[in-house]
Amino acid sequence: MPSPGNNRRFPFFNRLVLPLIVPALILLVWQVLSDRGFLRPSILPSPLAVTRTFQGMAASGDLFSQLKVSLIRVFEGFGIGAALGTLLGLAMGLSPRLDRALTLMTGLLRPIPTIAWIPVLILWMGIDEGSKVTVIAVGAFWPVLLSALQGVRGTDPKYLEVARILEKGRWEALIRVVLPSALPSLFTGLRVGLGIAWASVVGAELIAASSGIGYMIMYAREVSQPDVMLVGIVSIGLTGLLMDFLVVQLERRLLKWNQAGKESQA
Amino acid sequence: MKASRGSLKVKGVAKSFALPQGDLRVLERIDLEVGPGEFVALVGKSGCGKSTLLRLIGGLEAATEGEILLREKRITGPGLERGMVFQEPRLFPWMTTRENIAFGLRDSTEKREAGETVEKYLALVGLAGFGDAYPHQLSGGMQQRAALARALVSRPEVLLLDEPFGALDALTRIQMQLEIQRIWRESRGTVLLVTHDIDEAVFLGDRVAVMSEGPGTLRKIIPVPLSRPRDRSSASFVKIRKKIYNEFFNSSRKIKGV
Ligand SMILES: Nc1ncnc2c1ncn2[C@@H]1O[C@H](COP(=O)(O)OP(=O)(O)O)[C@@H](O)[C@H]1O
Ligand SMILES: [Mg+2]
Repeated sequence: MPSPGNNRRFPFFNRLVLPLIVPALILLVWQVLSDRGFLRPSILPSPLAVTRTFQGMAASGDLFSQLKVSLIRVFEGFGIGAALGTLLGLAMGLSPRLDRALTLMTGLLRPIPTIAWIPVLILWMGIDEGSKVTVIAVGAFWPVLLSALQGVRGTDPKYLEVARILEKGRWEALIRVVLPSALPSLFTGLRVGLGIAWASVVGAELIAASSGIGYMIMYAREVSQPDVMLVGIVSIGLTGLLMDFLVVQLERRLLKWNQAGKESQA
Repeated sequence: MKASRGSLKVKGVAKSFALPQGDLRVLERIDLEVGPGEFVALVGKSGCGKSTLLRLIGGLEAATEGEILLREKRITGPGLERGMVFQEPRLFPWMTTRENIAFGLRDSTEKREAGETVEKYLALVGLAGFGDAYPHQLSGGMQQRAALARALVSRPEVLLLDEPFGALDALTRIQMQLEIQRIWRESRGTVLLVTHDIDEAVFLGDRVAVMSEGPGTLRKIIPVPLSRPRDRSSASFVKIRKKIYNEFFNSSRKIKGV
């Protein structure tokens, strides 16, 4: 088979093989240490044992029903947080007055870690779904707000000048120039926001949950099932990876025009 | 009324910018009349106020003194009857070539007519096969053609070009000069071209306006009574080019000699 040299194979290697090497090595060392008896199964079960539990829980549907509960919470929370963050960010970006009026407020609230809200939210909203979804919404809100704000502010005034010359009104300039130009930045914020929303699900499920992946992990600790804990943790990681992948694919489709810059940066 | 379409008058225009350290006088006593369908090239050193004058005519800035009339009507802001192309193409990266050009149309344009007009202008600037391409997929010259089509698509009376070929390589630039000449002859609009390339000015202009700096004034207006297409190496061409060249040489010597 004539091939134009090894160059062709490098993208495949770089993309698919290279990222797998480090996890594979860690799993291998971990398994070997477990087999030799260096790791106590009650503290850290071996990768194979975790895999078996994973298979069992996947087959029984247990794992997915817990994941589903958490995912619904995350999508609700993310939806609310991202929508509010986008709207407020765009409004602040468009109106320097609103920005000035809110800058102290946002500066004060933003550094507060999401977990710090949990006790307060329990007090205000009780221990049902509402407070859990709100914690997630708060986590997603900030990165989306900031990126929407930055996106609008970053609109090149030269583009706005073109809109003026072509007699476009404010509304049309907003829809066809400012918003598209803010979109790449906004997308970055949405991606980060979704990541944070998913990562805060465990924190949210600290609030008297009786289902969900976070609840599953904590319950497994109480009943001393370290393998189930690890299955939960790995599932959070894998689900997060998958979500991020999907967002990137969506971004590629929606922001086709922005790909040239992305690829040359990479 | 029809005869005055594209007639442009700049009357006693001056422009100052307010800076923290005081007013900066950029233009002083500018008087210029451009007839309908005339091609005037504006040359001057960088920073002498060429872009500012063009932006005043485009309505992007307001004159500090004097007035600018198009068809005897005072200009107070931007308008589609004045098309503008800048040194950088300023195409919207999120729109295809076709969408970018369509953005130059009047909002009231009927949909089917809009589609046909855009196709016509795509072809006019030689981008017929590139309607669906995004700006990053086009070369610098092609991007500038698209920007030109966007400025032309609403059939402006006056086309304002601010060093539109300045960022292009020498060969592409010469090609663009030929094309702008062809487009100008077809559309018969008035053109005001800013350039720092004397050769380009003499090749394209019916007249060449020479600006001097500090603050910018119109130093001299030199007619180019040569038939088109022009031969850059002909004796008459070289003579006019030299005359303009001397304008700069003399003015800088005068300033140094003070
Ligand atoms: N918006 C502005 N504010 C302050 N100074 C300006 C502004 N625009 C242009 N100038 C100044 O006016 C002078 C002429 O600029 P410009 O018209 O761009 O010159 P040219 O196009 O001939 O190179 C320069 O000194 C420039 O710094
Ligand atoms: Mg300039």
